[in-house]
Amino acid sequence: MKKLISLNVNGIAHELAVEPRRTLLELLREDLGLTGTKKGCGIGDCGACTVLVDGVATFSCLTLAIQVNGCSVETVEGLTKDGKLSRLQQAFVDHGAIQCGYCTPGMLMTTTELLRRNQHPKEQEIRKAISGNLCRCTGYQKIVEAIQEVARSENEEI
Amino acid sequence: MKKYSILNSRVPRVDAVDKVTGKALYTDDIKMPGILIGAILHSPLAHARILNIDTSLAERLPGVKAVVTHREAGTTPYGVSPARYDETIFCHDKVRYVGDEIAAVAAIDLDTALEAVSLIKVDFEELPVVLDGRRAMEEGRPLLHDIYKNNICAEVHWHFGDIEQGKKESYIVRTDHLTSKMQDAAFLEPQSVIAEVDSHGNLTMWSSTQAPHYIQRTLAMALNIPLHKVRVIKPAVGGGFGPKASCSTAELATCLLAIKTGKPVKLTFDREQVFLHSRARHQFFHTMTTGVKKDGTLAFLDHQCILDGGAYASFGIATIYYAGSLLGGPYRLKNMKYDGYRVVTNKPACGAQRGHGAVIARALFEVQLDRIAEELGTDPIELRLKNVMEAGETTCNELFVSSFGMREALEAVRDSAAWKKKRSLSGKTRGQGRGIGAACGFFVSGAGYPIYRSRTYHCTVVTKVDDVGGGVTVSSGAADIGQGSDTVLAMITAEELGLPLDDVKVISGDSNLSVDLGAYSSRTTLMTGAACRDAARDVKRQILEAIAGVLCVPPETLDLKDGKVESLSGELDFSKIREEYLREHKGFIDLPNELCLTFREASRIAFLERGSIVGVGMYRPPPLGGSFKGATVGTSPAFGCSAQVAEVSVDLGTGEITVENITGAHDCGFAINRTQVEGQMQGSMMMGMGEALMEQIIYDKKGRIVNANLAEYKIPTAMDMPHLEAIIVESNEPHGPYGAKEVGEGAIMPVIPSILNAVYDATGVRIEELPLTPERLVAAMEEAKKKPSLQENP
Amino acid sequence: MPRFDVLVPESLEEALEMLGEHADKGVRILAGGTDLLVDLRRPIIPVHVPRCDGCAKHPGGMVYSTIDCELWLSEPTAHAGGSLRNALQDSRRISPQYLISLHLLRELKGIKRLDNGSLYIGATTTIREIAHSEKVRRCWTALAEGADNLGSPLVRNRGTLGGNIANARPAADMFVPTIGLNGILKLQSLGGERLLPARDFASGPGLTVIEPLEILTAVIYPAPLSYSGSSYYKLANRKALEISTVGVSVSLTLEAPDGPITDVRVALGAVGPTPILAESAKGILLGETPDEPLFKKAAQAIRKDARPIDDHRGSAWYRSNMVQLLSERLLKIAYIRAKRNK
Repeated sequence: MKKLISLNVNGIAHELAVEPRRTLLELLREDLGLTGTKKGCGIGDCGACTVLVDGVATFSCLTLAIQVNGCSVETVEGLTKDGKLSRLQQAFVDHGAIQCGYCTPGMLMTTTELLRRNQHPKEQEIRKAISGNLCRCTGYQKIVEAIQEVARSENEEI
Repeated sequence: MKKYSILNSRVPRVDAVDKVTGKALYTDDIKMPGILIGAILHSPLAHARILNIDTSLAERLPGVKAVVTHREAGTTPYGVSPARYDETIFCHDKVRYVGDEIAAVAAIDLDTALEAVSLIKVDFEELPVVLDGRRAMEEGRPLLHDIYKNNICAEVHWHFGDIEQGKKESYIVRTDHLTSKMQDAAFLEPQSVIAEVDSHGNLTMWSSTQAPHYIQRTLAMALNIPLHKVRVIKPAVGGGFGPKASCSTAELATCLLAIKTGKPVKLTFDREQVFLHSRARHQFFHTMTTGVKKDGTLAFLDHQCILDGGAYASFGIATIYYAGSLLGGPYRLKNMKYDGYRVVTNKPACGAQRGHGAVIARALFEVQLDRIAEELGTDPIELRLKNVMEAGETTCNELFVSSFGMREALEAVRDSAAWKKKRSLSGKTRGQGRGIGAACGFFVSGAGYPIYRSRTYHCTVVTKVDDVGGGVTVSSGAADIGQGSDTVLAMITAEELGLPLDDVKVISGDSNLSVDLGAYSSRTTLMTGAACRDAARDVKRQILEAIAGVLCVPPETLDLKDGKVESLSGELDFSKIREEYLREHKGFIDLPNELCLTFREASRIAFLERGSIVGVGMYRPPPLGGSFKGATVGTSPAFGCSAQVAEVSVDLGTGEITVENITGAHDCGFAINRTQVEGQMQGSMMMGMGEALMEQIIYDKKGRIVNANLAEYKIPTAMDMPHLEAIIVESNEPHGPYGAKEVGEGAIMPVIPSILNAVYDATGVRIEELPLTPERLVAAMEEAKKKPSLQENP
Repeated sequence: MPRFDVLVPESLEEALEMLGEHADKGVRILAGGTDLLVDLRRPIIPVHVPRCDGCAKHPGGMVYSTIDCELWLSEPTAHAGGSLRNALQDSRRISPQYLISLHLLRELKGIKRLDNGSLYIGATTTIREIAHSEKVRRCWTALAEGADNLGSPLVRNRGTLGGNIANARPAADMFVPTIGLNGILKLQSLGGERLLPARDFASGPGLTVIEPLEILTAVIYPAPLSYSGSSYYKLANRKALEISTVGVSVSLTLEAPDGPITDVRVALGAVGPTPILAESAKGILLGETPDEPLFKKAAQAIRKDARPIDDHRGSAWYRSNMVQLLSERLLKIAYIRAKRNK
């Protein structure tokens, strides 16, 4: 039997009837059409499906929609403000931190949380923070460089 | 080297913004009304005869729209190499590995489809399994296929030069072994397919593929549909690295289900299915005997290899040839013998993966060079420098290297990593937990011949100027799977036409657009890049001819630069053109007012003069290679080469290895996009490091994969990876556009051996089995303590 | 994901009532979901029944998890009378009809110091909170080190202390230091609560002595005495996203900075069907003045307490060696820490 939940996604309030077993990932991709969030493994091993739930990086594949009832969810689609890339997104573009792009949305969300919590992380802190987000293309080098660029800046905006 | 306005720069990839905003559409992101969901029934057994398949319960389940087995699919054999078509869409007589596909279902949703799959009943007669590739050839082993005697699906026997002579000349001869494990490419996007048939019987398939053209051919052949009625579209692809170059049952079954139901059908692999389908790196068993003269000159190589390729041939024929042929370089080696066997076993089929066939052979050979250097008392980099080939030379197996920055690459990593200083210390600190190692590599820049026998062009590119003027659209069948080929095509076109990158639209990865053999063998920059350049030049010529006609000047006095028409012979009077353009655009605000003729005006006027301006470029390599059997595999219009230094630290108690630094240099001929070249190198370093230290598919006694997930199939995380230094070497390849050649695969070649050599330096022990896990290292160190006499003397 | 209903109680009492109400229909407690939701998924490859003794009991010729079959095949006699099979079949591995999600129960969250100095951690406190807690790091270092190395940051963000312990995996990175630190589990039922030493909790891989109507609500870690120190090491192939090959937790108390040793607990992970408390350590170390030969001797004894098997994560040989090596190293680290902690 479906259950009614309400949640805020990227600043927009939604009320939805969901099956109890529906994952947050399915809800985002299938019910809300937010396909920027990717499914790489479905069991919490790769981090491609990372979104922020009440500000905390969360794999949406192992989170039931019903568990985020009343929560605020941010996805990659919400990073752009007024059509402008966030500084982190821009740094990923400028540094070539993207190849196939499949890990990118999750990587951006994990990093967004990191930078909100710690404006100037050191390289090892960056590497540790993204160690649950697998990337098979870049060797992480340019991803780390992109994050370092944002981390160096005194601009508090991410 | 020429100065370019955009080539050789670091412009962001053309799809970067779409990928950081979540707009980029991958196959599974595509929605269609009324789409059905497909699911596959996989074999639970590694080897069994199929006695009966009963789909009646599944068909009766409400919501099920079609159930297909070999009865519907037919049994037309297909595969990768035409000489070894050994697969059918579904198993009909036997299943040959755990995961082999027996049936597929289309239903209104995934739950229904999976439930239907679980209702299909199959009666099996279990057969004995063959799991050990080394023993698969033995007499009396169970046979997988009637067509493969002794389970050998291909064998190669080559002898170039005279190894007996080489032996006579040798001062040191040594034999070594290296075994690897089957790998998974572990791309982040699981395969996904959508298929649909229109009212004219045209089949369209969207798929996460590397090779739309080959897939189009396979679909047409296996499903018996005319080629021109099959269209394959590649949306954004989340990595491929080889396995997505071969056609999968997911693709064939989804098309079949779409045909049967008349509805669009989507089928997306679960991560476990990615492992089951595999088509990734083979398991290699290499033995090499190498001889060198007293002065360090290589005298001969005698090489044996067994490839465990799993249940079907897939790319394996090419793999077994590559495993031998690519040792022809980068060193001068006059005498080389090779005996290779590619066997079948009851495991998922292996295929191509980054550095196709050559990676483990390279690893062993480079380890051997290290051991030989030690025996000779020579610095391993100096030994290599003594033997490296130079541009203009031909290998003993008739591979011609037209450009070759091997020496530069080796010197670059030597100097950048402070090799001499660190290595001089390591003589004293050998075995104390810190180590440094070096290695080289050699790889093709595009296969010299297509997979099917043909004199087909390997690619065509069609560049059309917008009829309304201002921009151009480049159409190509090339497959950007994340490596960035769309960006390369856009940059080349922008350079040729003097346009900003934003005015070049690239549409690609669609079999309707053109023939392009796809993203494999590191071919796209050289081949499609050349075709793209020629298409752009064709367009440029036509525009300039049209303008020259209107302005009554010789076309050769005109050029396109910075969005303008430049005159090489004084000022142009283009007032007539400007006047006409302004008249056409009355009411528009953004109108040209520059003191020069803009591309926007020129391209529009060219259309008014001549109609649509379309430029075409094509590429087909010249005949390459020798005339011996299998001489085509390994040929290429150009060869990339690379060198690397790795530094490691080892916990001598637990065997834990930390890679502290990797410095790599790769000769890519000319870097179209410097950031992307570095990205390919760094990605290669990561994949190679994973393969060296942690990646392995593990099977149980029944042939089931124990670790078909990304938790236990371990690829390096950001914490495992060190800082990666990528040095670009540019040797200006005469056969490549602007001097460019490959980087995508060659860069992985030195990774494994440089790490193995560094670990030896750190521990004093050599390992003959990959991956080099802490446990294997501890075992080897214990062994060495027991019999110190067998170890090399530091 | 199979079909199930999710119940979301708003109080512990309600959760316990729900547990009672649905106990006979298959019910599981959902905390972070990082293990449970993985275990519940429908397998891609069906298990071929005739080949798998024991699975035939399942209806329809399919089993829900290949893990079940592995366990049944590999350890048919591990538990006399087939209790392992029964246990798996009866309560744990069959697809449940109900999940009771504890995410609204604030009383199960949080880290606090009790009046007697001991540490109280609610069962649904995330691993991340534990890893980031200064309190934990200062006085219960082994637990913080376990938390810091569990899975990946994303697993730590969702995974909970209670979940990690209740899952009873032999390699569990919170369970092992919890035993090493003499953690006491608080098990709540409608009838009341009982306290159980963590070392008595697991009865086999994935199996515990928790009663069907009980919920693990908290873990209490006794206050460390003066001159106590602890340490945990997770040995694995890569530096994140790992399941331990071996995990070792050591905690040590000295009478004075130079000894003698008044208490020691060594817990071992991934070297037996459950985490193991290495009893031999005590006999050798208690009352002795710490020095290298003593630690070496103790480590040799601890090695014998381990009961590792060969599996795809490591051989019994390597695991035994590593138990000894890491025990020796961690005894030294815990000793250095103990000396400093007045």
